[in-house]
Amino acid sequence: MVISPLRRKVLRDLMRLWPQSLAIALVLACGVATMILGNGAYSSLSDTRERYYNDYRFADVFSDVTRAPRALLDEMRAIDGVVAAEARIVKLGLLSMPGMVEPGTMLLVSLPEDGDGALNRLHLRQGRLPDPQSIREMVVSEGFATAHRLRPGSVLSVVMNGQRRDLTITGIALSPEFIYALGPGEMMPDPRRFGIGWLPRGGLEAAFDLQGAFSNLVLKLAAGTSVDRVIESVDRLTAPYGGTGATGRGDQISHVFLDAELKQLSAMVKVLPPIFLLVAAMLVNMTLSRLVTLEREQIGLLKAIGYSGQAIAQHYVEFVLAIAALGISLGFGAGAWLGAGLAQMYARFFTFPFLIFARDPQLYALAAAITAASAVTGALLAVRAVLALPPAVAMSPPAPAEYRSGRGKLWRRLALRQTAVMTARHLLRWPLRTLSGVLGVAMSVMILVASLWSFGAIDWMIDITFYQSERQDAQVVFGMPEPQRAVYAAGQMPGVMKAEPFRAAASRISHRNLSRTISIVGRPASPELSRVLAPDLRPMDMPENGVILSETLAAVLDVGPGDRVTVAFLEGARRTVTLPVSGVSLGYVGLGAAMELGALNRALGEGPVISGVNLLIDDNARTAFYAAAAAAPETGFVTVLALTVARFRETLAENIVVMITVYVGLAAIIAIGVIYNFARIALSEQGRELASLRVLGFTQAEVAGILFSELAAVVLLAQPLGWVLGYALGRLMVAAFSSDLYRMPFVMGREVYATASVVVIAAALVSALAVRQRINTLDMVEVLKTRE
Amino acid sequence: MDKTPDIVFRATGLTKVYRSSAGEVHALRGVDFQAAQGEFIVILGPSGSGKSSFLNIVGGLDTATAGVAWFRDHQLTALDERGLTRYRRDHVGFVFQFYNLVPSLTARENVALVTEIAQKPMAPDRALALVGLSDRADHFPAQLSGGEQQRVAIARAIAKNPEVLLCDEPTGALDSATGVRVLEALAEVNRTIGATTLVITHNAAIRDIADRVLRFADGRIVEETVNATKKAPAEVSW
Repeated sequence: MVISPLRRKVLRDLMRLWPQSLAIALVLACGVATMILGNGAYSSLSDTRERYYNDYRFADVFSDVTRAPRALLDEMRAIDGVVAAEARIVKLGLLSMPGMVEPGTMLLVSLPEDGDGALNRLHLRQGRLPDPQSIREMVVSEGFATAHRLRPGSVLSVVMNGQRRDLTITGIALSPEFIYALGPGEMMPDPRRFGIGWLPRGGLEAAFDLQGAFSNLVLKLAAGTSVDRVIESVDRLTAPYGGTGATGRGDQISHVFLDAELKQLSAMVKVLPPIFLLVAAMLVNMTLSRLVTLEREQIGLLKAIGYSGQAIAQHYVEFVLAIAALGISLGFGAGAWLGAGLAQMYARFFTFPFLIFARDPQLYALAAAITAASAVTGALLAVRAVLALPPAVAMSPPAPAEYRSGRGKLWRRLALRQTAVMTARHLLRWPLRTLSGVLGVAMSVMILVASLWSFGAIDWMIDITFYQSERQDAQVVFGMPEPQRAVYAAGQMPGVMKAEPFRAAASRISHRNLSRTISIVGRPASPELSRVLAPDLRPMDMPENGVILSETLAAVLDVGPGDRVTVAFLEGARRTVTLPVSGVSLGYVGLGAAMELGALNRALGEGPVISGVNLLIDDNARTAFYAAAAAAPETGFVTVLALTVARFRETLAENIVVMITVYVGLAAIIAIGVIYNFARIALSEQGRELASLRVLGFTQAEVAGILFSELAAVVLLAQPLGWVLGYALGRLMVAAFSSDLYRMPFVMGREVYATASVVVIAAALVSALAVRQRINTLDMVEVLKTRE
Repeated sequence: MDKTPDIVFRATGLTKVYRSSAGEVHALRGVDFQAAQGEFIVILGPSGSGKSSFLNIVGGLDTATAGVAWFRDHQLTALDERGLTRYRRDHVGFVFQFYNLVPSLTARENVALVTEIAQKPMAPDRALALVGLSDRADHFPAQLSGGEQQRVAIARAIAKNPEVLLCDEPTGALDSATGVRVLEALAEVNRTIGATTLVITHNAAIRDIADRVLRFADGRIVEETVNATKKAPAEVSW
């Protein structure tokens, strides 16, 4: 095969300019990789969920009741749009496991009905389902079984309704209902302290006194049915039975967390790849413009011997396409590799029976096409000059770079050294290129600022939530509301130094047509353990009458202090009252509303009852306390805040290194790509001047200093711009990710800017070092003899 | 002569061999040389005769393969890269064939570039006055003619008050009339600051303005002529 001379030139140019080409290819690769990773992970996750939901008939509507007769089920099935309804018993049990002192909870769920029509069907990983008649057999969730090395045949002790039962595990399973298995009061899944156990209905009926009744309802709707209308009907039917308000998938914990992840992925896909592609296009433009300038004599020659402008332009586009091809293949590899890593990370949080890997060739093709297009766009802008160049002009050397600045006096007034004047004028001579360099480096700073701030924000959130607001060591939630005196009993448990009661009441809070189902928490007038903080972080006293809403809830309901809200309680006498909003509080997790304990009980129309206690525990007596709490008959479940925080931090720590490495890597590739190319171009343009200065007696360091000060100017100018862009992007992310479930505090500490800048400056230094060798070996003899 | 001339340069057996994959090239084959303070020396020779290699070693831009070269009490052939830079910075003024001005600096700034790092510089304006360019001080290279650019380069070379002025084909890119003006500037500078001046050229017409003329061929000095009377630059043309 004969390779045309211009093709040969492409290959030789690539070899000659390999470091610059590689730097550009890497930036392109980041664009491709993030595109493939983001889109691939998004479709993997959503396709897998979709199929899991369909195959295992995940329900559409969920409703808790205190106790409803099974006969109610027929009325549910009669609701327009309901294709299947199942009555279940769902209750919390306490784990009693040898070797685990801290309290653990098991969500006990009655097994789905037999047959294909069953909802939330289990995927058996091992063993078999329990004998439907047995009251001593169960299936447990896989994460929990793995954490405790349980297998079919193992025996597990669970305290149900105050009674301890030994149950034999017959199988290990997964359920579409618990892809993200979050225990009560927890912030991160902890499969050691929270598991799901599926039992035949009979055993649970007996344990919880629910013969012929149910405590939970799941419904499957026909496609296109209005979820809200069904919820309305369900709520009407369950109201007499202690219904606390049905919810759709949009409020189902596992589903919501998956949604949040999907939302993040789609945001990543919208933000990251365009940044890389923009930077790559700028780099291509910068580098190619210089190459065309250097090769103008060759271009003139080619034109003179009869090559068309188009053929020559095509030659340069081919050069860029070759770089793009390298970037695309690197990006394919990196995207696939990172995708596998991300899938592993997901496997830690989300449990699926299978994972559909999206290896959609269309996605790859699209990523390649977009990337090549952005590179070629950068090239075309530079190659336009080739077409315009008449052969005669091209073959005579270019006139010396024209500087006709009238600002000489300004520089003199600034009393700059001449080398600094050189730097400044050279940067101003090519304002677009300087701007591209600054913008490119700023993008790198931006990526870091917009990603690193979240770690500090999480620390802040933990500090506010667990050290300033929820200051108790443990929270005991009773199975049923208990009389006020239960607080004294709790105070008598071993190790308890202080006990503070609380009452939580499910309610529907509304203002005009805006409403939310929430839990209103009643606390003592001046709580000392579980406190409500004002936005300025001052602890708030509970109002005599009136309700304090969290900022998010106040915003959702569009109310402020002084407005009145309607509260329809979903328990007890199910009264509806109107309450003044007496304040707005800080809150990052969930929608919160707070009242004074007595006032809440009065509003509920109940006597002095409490839902649980917040406790301060003596560190030395923790084990004794855990045992006593687990044994107390009124205990529904126990949350140990230190464990919650520890698990949260632990999970975070597992991923933080990976995430920071990825972001720093991405930012460094941009920074190095931009700065290295910028430096090489500056050196190519000024190499002759710098070599002349060496002849005149400037030292290697002084000459390098001239070039480095140019890089430094670009890098330094980019910092504030990067900070501002990063701040703005962070703001957008907060707004995009805020939901009723949680809200990130936007805390942008100075250390975030500092860290981002340090990383980018370090990358700049690496690039500078890479060109330093070229400066040191500038050929002095050559410049004496030749003209540019 | 009763007065011993003040010797600035002394070289004996200066040899330069370039080695490459294609073989060895002997650029200098044992050159012996001396130059006195204030002497104006023109070095002639065809390309490849070794004159540039010689100037490079004497100017501290390159190292010799063998032989010794002294500048006053500095043994140039023993200096490392750092020492050579110091030598160029403190003692040598260079004038290039293609001027090599910094295009982003005005004439005055190009001169100041050097005076900023020199030990006992003259004011940039004085250096420009010496080459007759006071009125062009604020112009950028692109706004100056070739001859003017070369005169700025000379001003830049002499502004540090160098003891040696090395010029590699200073008129090579200029027409005769402009070249003469440049030579006048060189002669004037040589007279005023007393710098030993070495001018490399292949232009034999210039020989008459020198104190001494060396002819290089095949890596050796093959002819040495002392001009009893030297001409003024205005009297030569080519």
